[in-house]
Amino acid sequence: MHEKTFRKACADSGLNPFLCEIANLREHCSWVHEDIVEGTKKAIDLVRIAVERVKRNVPLSPIQVPVTKKALVIGGGISGIQASLDIANAGFDVVLVEKQPSIGGHMSQLSETFPTLDCSQCILTPRMVEVYQHPRIKLLTYSEVENVEGFIGNFKVTIRKKARSIDESKCTGCGLCVQKCPIKKKAYNEFEEGLAFRPAVYVPFPQAVPNIPVIDRTVCTYYQTGKCQMCVKVCGREAIKFDQEDTLITEDIGAIVVATGYKLYTIDKKPDAQEIKGYGEYGYGKYKDVVDGLQFERIASASGPTSGEILRPSDNSVPKKIVFIQCVGSRDESKGFSYCSKICCMYTAKHAMLYKHKVHDGEAYVFYMDIRAGGKGYDEFVRRAIEEDNVKYIRGRVSRIYEENGKYIVKGEDTIAGMPVVIDADMVVLATAITAQPDAVKLAQTVGMSYDKYGFYNEVHPKLRPVEVSTAGVFLAGACQAPKDIPESVAMASAAASKSLVLFGSDLLEREPTVAKVNESICAGCFYCQKVCAYNAIERKEIKDRQGNVVKVIASVNSGLCQGCGTCNAVCPSKSVELVGFNDEQIYAQINALG
Amino acid sequence: MNELRQLAKELLGNGTVKVIIGYSEGTTPERAKPFIARTEEDAGKLIFNKYCVNNLAVYLTRKEFKRKGTIGIVAKGCDVKAIVQLIQENQVIKDDVYIIGMNCGGVVSGFGVDDTAVKCNNCKVKTPHLYHTLLGAPVETPAKDDGHLKLIQKLDAMTAEEKWSFWEAEFEKCVKCYACRQACPLCYCEKCIADKSMPRWIESSAHTRGNFAWNIIRAFHLSGRCVGCGECERACPAEIPLSLINRKMGMVAKKEFDYSAGMALDAPTLVGNYDTADREDFIK
Amino acid sequence: MEEKTFEPKITAFVCNWCTYTGADLAGTSRLKYKPNIKMIRVPCTGRIDPVFIIKAFEKGADGVLISGCHPGDCHYNTGNYHARRRWVLFTELLNYIGIDSSRLFFSWVSASEGKKFVDVVTEVTETVRKKGPFIQYHKINKEFVLDE
Repeated sequence: MHEKTFRKACADSGLNPFLCEIANLREHCSWVHEDIVEGTKKAIDLVRIAVERVKRNVPLSPIQVPVTKKALVIGGGISGIQASLDIANAGFDVVLVEKQPSIGGHMSQLSETFPTLDCSQCILTPRMVEVYQHPRIKLLTYSEVENVEGFIGNFKVTIRKKARSIDESKCTGCGLCVQKCPIKKKAYNEFEEGLAFRPAVYVPFPQAVPNIPVIDRTVCTYYQTGKCQMCVKVCGREAIKFDQEDTLITEDIGAIVVATGYKLYTIDKKPDAQEIKGYGEYGYGKYKDVVDGLQFERIASASGPTSGEILRPSDNSVPKKIVFIQCVGSRDESKGFSYCSKICCMYTAKHAMLYKHKVHDGEAYVFYMDIRAGGKGYDEFVRRAIEEDNVKYIRGRVSRIYEENGKYIVKGEDTIAGMPVVIDADMVVLATAITAQPDAVKLAQTVGMSYDKYGFYNEVHPKLRPVEVSTAGVFLAGACQAPKDIPESVAMASAAASKSLVLFGSDLLEREPTVAKVNESICAGCFYCQKVCAYNAIERKEIKDRQGNVVKVIASVNSGLCQGCGTCNAVCPSKSVELVGFNDEQIYAQINALG
Repeated sequence: MNELRQLAKELLGNGTVKVIIGYSEGTTPERAKPFIARTEEDAGKLIFNKYCVNNLAVYLTRKEFKRKGTIGIVAKGCDVKAIVQLIQENQVIKDDVYIIGMNCGGVVSGFGVDDTAVKCNNCKVKTPHLYHTLLGAPVETPAKDDGHLKLIQKLDAMTAEEKWSFWEAEFEKCVKCYACRQACPLCYCEKCIADKSMPRWIESSAHTRGNFAWNIIRAFHLSGRCVGCGECERACPAEIPLSLINRKMGMVAKKEFDYSAGMALDAPTLVGNYDTADREDFIK
Repeated sequence: MEEKTFEPKITAFVCNWCTYTGADLAGTSRLKYKPNIKMIRVPCTGRIDPVFIIKAFEKGADGVLISGCHPGDCHYNTGNYHARRRWVLFTELLNYIGIDSSRLFFSWVSASEGKKFVDVVTEVTETVRKKGPFIQYHKINKEFVLDE
């Protein structure tokens, strides 16, 4: 309990702090035992144990490892953008990797944001441009992190830059190829959440950063039949490169910020199939006018497929009655996910408001379980929807939705009135759960993060270390850790950035010297140590003879990664790996002292 | 026998393997002995019969053979299990071993005797589960009484004090010759914990206390690894029933973790992995 | 006569982050327990090797307690999971040899469970006290002439 204090006192007086050992007589003896004679005997024993240990302590000095002052940010949504800008503005290099062709993430899809109703793109786009133009940020879009090796301050990261089929150095972003591409009504438009189509060569959205198209090889006629090449003909810069290949880029990195965001629960109806398939009874994917939250964002967005007019996807008519359903998949262990998706209460209120602002005679109903509007100005926002905009809130669940005479019959229950409710709606918006990215687990294994059963990344400590993961030098930002709204994501991103900056604040990193050490002369190389190491700190080392032939492969401890738990020491049958500071001789002597 | 010699000749002749670890006839026909065939001529001396009791996998980790090119080995099913375990534990490189799998109808329990070893009574790998070439015809043997199992059940039913007395009487006989260790294909440490003096966890003299420590730790180090070849017990000059311990731990591994050692190359090892649902009813 | 004066010797191996700190809390909370138990601190239950337990019995312990962080709470993420799997094997082995659950104890005690620490220690002490001295091990200990 007071080890740190006393070790520091030792260091201050010129003694190596690791020669200090504590027999905790106060907490473990004098305060807990009433029998003075027996207690004193025990105290003597405890001192004896400590003496035997300290006799075998050796002076240790902290392990120093150099720090590469460059950060990797994975994910170019608002969290990744914020973290990148913070780190870069502090004067350090950043590599920002985004899987999609453009940065911006989900925030670029949103219409207006709660609780102020300011335009999402208006506040995001300048940040995106800032990233693009920042001299310290290297932006790699349409790229994915393939491999991470090394340890805090010294990661070696391999990034796969997928082939855009466009020469980025030549493309000016004029957009002619996009305009002339004959594939117009085939490709699933990810940005519009399937509410519109896009050509085979496309820029995801007008404000995309970088403004460079990408060719979708799965739909492009050239890749299917070898013909067409319309884009080649119209491109004045010879920027179309059909034979472009993926390239692998390696970077030396000191700190990693993971900001990979979320995916909406799609009830198994969109291209990415999920394991959980609950709520099929709402007809999502079957009825065109039953949409999810992001689809409604696009419908309400001035840049969306309807230019901001609220129109039904099925027939472009103005819906006079919309039902919003919250908690579709959230807070439902039996059919969905046990957690609360946190932002749905707020965005549903926003959606209902936006609708009422645009369709004055329209009716908006919200089915809710509870209203969770914690946050500055949040509850007031929901009250405004109810009181000023007349949105009708019904506490209860919806059992079923079916089509009848062009209407969607929503059957539910009002649990406050204790009555069944039937609404003949023109349109239904489902606040589907926020889920982890489908490939979250893969990235977790690549980077070395633990994750919960839903694929959200685990922080080391839920209260005191909320942005760090168990692998030192890796930090979390945004919804990849748990569902989060924009201000929270941005705050977390800045926190992750400042954690990275703390690391970059010194040239050398000091680490506890109580790490494992291999006795190379007797290690037989069974690698049980490697299997039990939670930190990938055990490496394989080849021992060669003079001719260069490998005579054996043995374990070697990367002291930059080792955290000193000693599990390797315990599983090593021959004790060829020992934990400095808690080695076998010390513990043996301590047990002996009790004899 | 002829097909074994023929194959061995080929493998040695065309350089597929550098040597073949097998058996040859000893001083009498009942005393088959380990034999290293290095030439095509040697191949003609190889034999295989029920007197080939040794688990030759033990030689694979010897300095003479480890990382010295591809080694051929004549292996019964139980020996193959040991080879699999050695591959899993990085002691043998998968591509550096050529397994001549032998269909086996059981071996004798020791030199100079003709009764079938107890371990063979309920053998599940009469036809080896992994090999490069399989020789001999599958042998059907009638299922026999599992002698070990009965004794283990008897021990399980005893009180702690009775168990202690049983093992005290057994361990007392141990002379710390470490023949069990030498015969075991999985005791390949370069320096055994029993030989370490800094600190001396296991007392070196052949005294009951040190014998307890040695036998407990030996059994623990083999838990979830022992393939049940029984070589330790066969090698023991004091006739300590080591198989009763090893078999028991094998049963624990099977019952608690549904794990059998040496069966699959890609199976995760028992120790070295965990499941968050592992048993913990004994932990307060 | 013997039983009245018998005070069991109990050796405990505890992890630094949970049980050791839990024992600290028991102290700062001024909870009371019998002084039979003596703790040896290790960084993690993953560090605990069965040879420690054997050696403790060789040095005259009548009972041994092992304690660490609850599953999922390990300071080193997975150390206690690896430990737990090995304990399953080791308890079965020792039980088979004749050292049963009245001599060897395991518990999860977190840094905030000062009360649980006291409860566990008291239960262990009383169980061993009732069981009596580990005469079997004491016997082979006594017969042994040190070779060190």
